[in-house]
Amino acid sequence: MDARELVDYAASLDCIHCGLCLNTCPTYLLTGVESSSPRGRIHLMRSVAEDELQADADYAEELDFCLLCRHCESVCPSGVRFGALMEHARSALEPVRERGPLARLARRAGFDLVLRDRSALRAAATVGRVAQRLGLVRLAARIGGQRARGLADAPAIPPAAERARLPERTPAAGTRRSTALLLEGCVMPELLGATNRATLRVLAACGFEVHVAREHVCCGSLHAHNGEASGARALARETLEACDARSDEGGTPLPLVVNSAGCGSHLKELAPAFAGQPDLERRARALSARTLDLSEALTRGPGAEGLAALLARVPTPARSVRAAWDDPCHLLHGQHIAREPRAILGRIPGLELVPMELAESCCGSAGIYSLLRPADARRVLEPKLAALAASGAEILVTANPGCQLQWAAGVRRAGLAVRVLHLAEVLDEFVVSVARPATAS
Amino acid sequence: MDARVVEELRAVLGRDGVLAERARRTPYEADGLAFARCLPELVLLPRDTRETAAALRVLAAHGIPVVPRGAGTGLSGGATPVEGGVVIGTARMRRILALDADNRLARVQAGVVNADLGRAAARHGLFYAPDPSSQKACTIGGNVGENSSGPHGFRHGSTTRHVLGLVLVTPEGDVLDLSRPEHDPHGYDLVGLFVGSEGLLGIATEITVALLPLPPLVETMLALFRDLDSACDAVSDLVAARLEPTAIEVLDQLTIEAVEASVLAAGYPKDAAAVLLLESEGSEAEVASTLGAIEPLLRARGAFEVRRARDELERARLWAGRKGAYGAMGRVAPDLYVCDAVVPRTRLAEIVRVTIAICQARGLRVANVFHAGDGNLHPNIPYDRRDAGQLARVLEAGDAILDAVLAVGGSLTGEHGVGLEKIGAMGRAFSPDDLDAQCRVRDAWDPARRMNPGKLLPVHACRETHTRDPRGGAR
Ligand SMILES: Cc1cc2nc3c(=O)[nH]c(=O)nc-3n(C[C@H](O)[C@H](O)[C@H](O)COP(=O)(O)OP(=O)(O)OC[C@H]3O[C@@H](n4cnc5c(N)ncnc54)[C@H](O)[C@@H]3O)c2cc1C
Ligand code: SF4
Ligand code: SF4
Repeated sequence: MDARELVDYAASLDCIHCGLCLNTCPTYLLTGVESSSPRGRIHLMRSVAEDELQADADYAEELDFCLLCRHCESVCPSGVRFGALMEHARSALEPVRERGPLARLARRAGFDLVLRDRSALRAAATVGRVAQRLGLVRLAARIGGQRARGLADAPAIPPAAERARLPERTPAAGTRRSTALLLEGCVMPELLGATNRATLRVLAACGFEVHVAREHVCCGSLHAHNGEASGARALARETLEACDARSDEGGTPLPLVVNSAGCGSHLKELAPAFAGQPDLERRARALSARTLDLSEALTRGPGAEGLAALLARVPTPARSVRAAWDDPCHLLHGQHIAREPRAILGRIPGLELVPMELAESCCGSAGIYSLLRPADARRVLEPKLAALAASGAEILVTANPGCQLQWAAGVRRAGLAVRVLHLAEVLDEFVVSVARPATAS
Repeated sequence: MDARVVEELRAVLGRDGVLAERARRTPYEADGLAFARCLPELVLLPRDTRETAAALRVLAAHGIPVVPRGAGTGLSGGATPVEGGVVIGTARMRRILALDADNRLARVQAGVVNADLGRAAARHGLFYAPDPSSQKACTIGGNVGENSSGPHGFRHGSTTRHVLGLVLVTPEGDVLDLSRPEHDPHGYDLVGLFVGSEGLLGIATEITVALLPLPPLVETMLALFRDLDSACDAVSDLVAARLEPTAIEVLDQLTIEAVEASVLAAGYPKDAAAVLLLESEGSEAEVASTLGAIEPLLRARGAFEVRRARDELERARLWAGRKGAYGAMGRVAPDLYVCDAVVPRTRLAEIVRVTIAICQARGLRVANVFHAGDGNLHPNIPYDRRDAGQLARVLEAGDAILDAVLAVGGSLTGEHGVGLEKIGAMGRAFSPDDLDAQCRVRDAWDPARRMNPGKLLPVHACRETHTRDPRGGAR
């Protein structure tokens, strides 16, 4: 393969090596190694393209070590699109890299089978739950040694009742202000059904009639982040079809509300997957434009009005609870959303929003990173756990399923008395469920 | 590299402390002087003084050349590796060892990032004065190496004014503790000698710095001009009038365009040909009187708008924009060459004009963003190192600018050091006797000349002077 095809060479030239990104990079802060920094990784990519460096195992390892948190991208004055650069480099390397037969099998099973098919996902969840209950997982982790450590760290799969799917249509509670499509997600229903149901209740309580595309499985963000560009393209196509088929009475496609920052960030940058197919590109851009993170849906237009009306019905509790917001990378660095969630949390009666240091840096979840590289993922979370403890928060709020699981595991390990909740769950518990009934209207 | 040496080094630094794989060494091949590159044989990352000393002893025993490195943001090639040499990086020495708020000092490991020290100090109402624009990345050790300054150097001076003590490791691997207070009054000021020595005398591992109390009030002012000349003349006037703001920076239009197109967009007006960014700190009365006295001078030189930052947020954004100017130039070209020369402040406008003409004559673009209060020019020349012809013209322009600066009694470097970049000009700035004296100082510390060889002091100058050694003892 031509070395130039291994990386997006032109984009790598955008880096002027000023170093302003270094101090934001979790893997550089952990190791002090330049090739594990954004500037260093871009240097490696450029060296590969210029035939100065072989795309060898060490190169691959530095790509894998990256969390793809895109913190570096947020601070880069030169406008380097690091996320896109890294996705490209991983995808281009995938066909030529050496993986053991087992690793290859697991990868193909995960990306080509499970994540692309609802019944396979459900079956995997059932098998996984049984294995976890029987202690088989811990056993496998012990036998598999270092490489299977991720298994033991994998989140507990909830019982079948909690894994129920969302209904196709849920009416607004009270006055209908708007209609929206909610992205149910691929692993969300299996691992975090409670978060999905909370999201649904919050949206309905804020006046949304909520639709769910039940035939849709996965938006492809995990594929895109992990070097599976063609799988990502296929899933992007399916997502387009599912979303474009839902419109309101006037025929306008429904806005798509997303409660997973990783998926939202991917959906807002969908167009490049269809480069060279103008019609699909246009449709992808339109979908991106109507994709809203939950926090956006509740701070603008009818959603904001609905939330305000709802908040007005919440009595002030006697005791307030301290909560800290942790910016999910794909919300802050991927979608540049920082104010909205804080504004929402700041308005909840009885919730005191306390600042937490390092809120803007990665927790180590990073999609499936915490499964692939559990030891690194833990090390990345360590300083943030200390910051959480220092903040005095009793609740840690996030807005991304992976972060939720990663934090929950970390808090458990550290023995902190902190609950980890999704923004939707906080709203459900502290607003929706305690609001006085609306006066008949 | 000899496998035995690698094993010896691993024994003292651990596996993670020795980078031998090609992919892990590659990003160290250059610092901020992008066109100069050389692959190091190894990169060593000690965690403290003891490990640094142990590693240097191994390297001394094998006669291996050493290049110290902080964050590699240096712009003169001070951290460019040398043929057959290793790099010793301080990126795993990032601990703030002590912060004594009552005595206003901090003891830090050399790899502590300038901005991290600033943040820690701010928690105690203090700050660390030297503030290079690279402060979010550059290390205190690198600042010591280059005697770095920054926008606020106008008032507070460069690094050397703020370093109280050092622990350093000599090229042979001996530890020299120059940080205990009793060293201060006696004998030579070795700390002063070490600051600015560009990695030729040893490796600083721990640095004790002075911290200053945060001023009660800081105000930032912007003055917009229709041409760069007037902005420069206004600075000359301010300095002549002995007005003492804390910082006087100039940004020209190309710089502003790049900054405003970036994530650091700060609201710099795009219609001004030049902007003066001024800051004053002190009591309310002091700030009011300083800025009040400055404004009419600026207007007299044609400032068409003078305004103050409304709040702390705007102030922070203006500075972030200024400090991100280098990075923002990445939108113009893949590489940036930053000249660094100091001229008498009465001649700012004239020399800036000359630098622009020099660049234009060679078909090069140039952005001017600089520490005007100090007379420290930074003509920024965007280029692409893959274009050999263009690179040659950039270097030629750099040389011509230095000549122009030396001709008016200026100096070779304000804050970026000589490194590799300006080593050729040393012979023009110093007489053979001067250079000889400097070589002898170096030889007293590093007789084998293994520390950062080929930087700062031209080797041929050393050889020449040694053959003229009055004692006849050429080495
Ligand atoms: C965007 C940008 C803006 C900049 N703005 C400024 C500015 O405003 N003012 C300014 O003065 N400079 C500026 N610089 C230049 C540069 O940041 C400074 O020279 C800085 O001090 C270098 O620090 P570093 O940690 O990157 O050191 P490096 O570049 O790694 O090293 C610099 C020199 O110090 C030596 N060295 C490093 N660590 C040690 C140690 N522990 N012991 C002994 N020697 C050591 C090295 O051998 C080398 O010679 C800027 C650079 C960039 C890229
Ligand atoms: S901030 Fe941007 S331009 Fe600067 S080194 Fe990092 S990626 Fe490169
Ligand atoms: S994406 Fe995150 S982990 Fe990867 S280089 Fe950027 S800051 Fe580092």
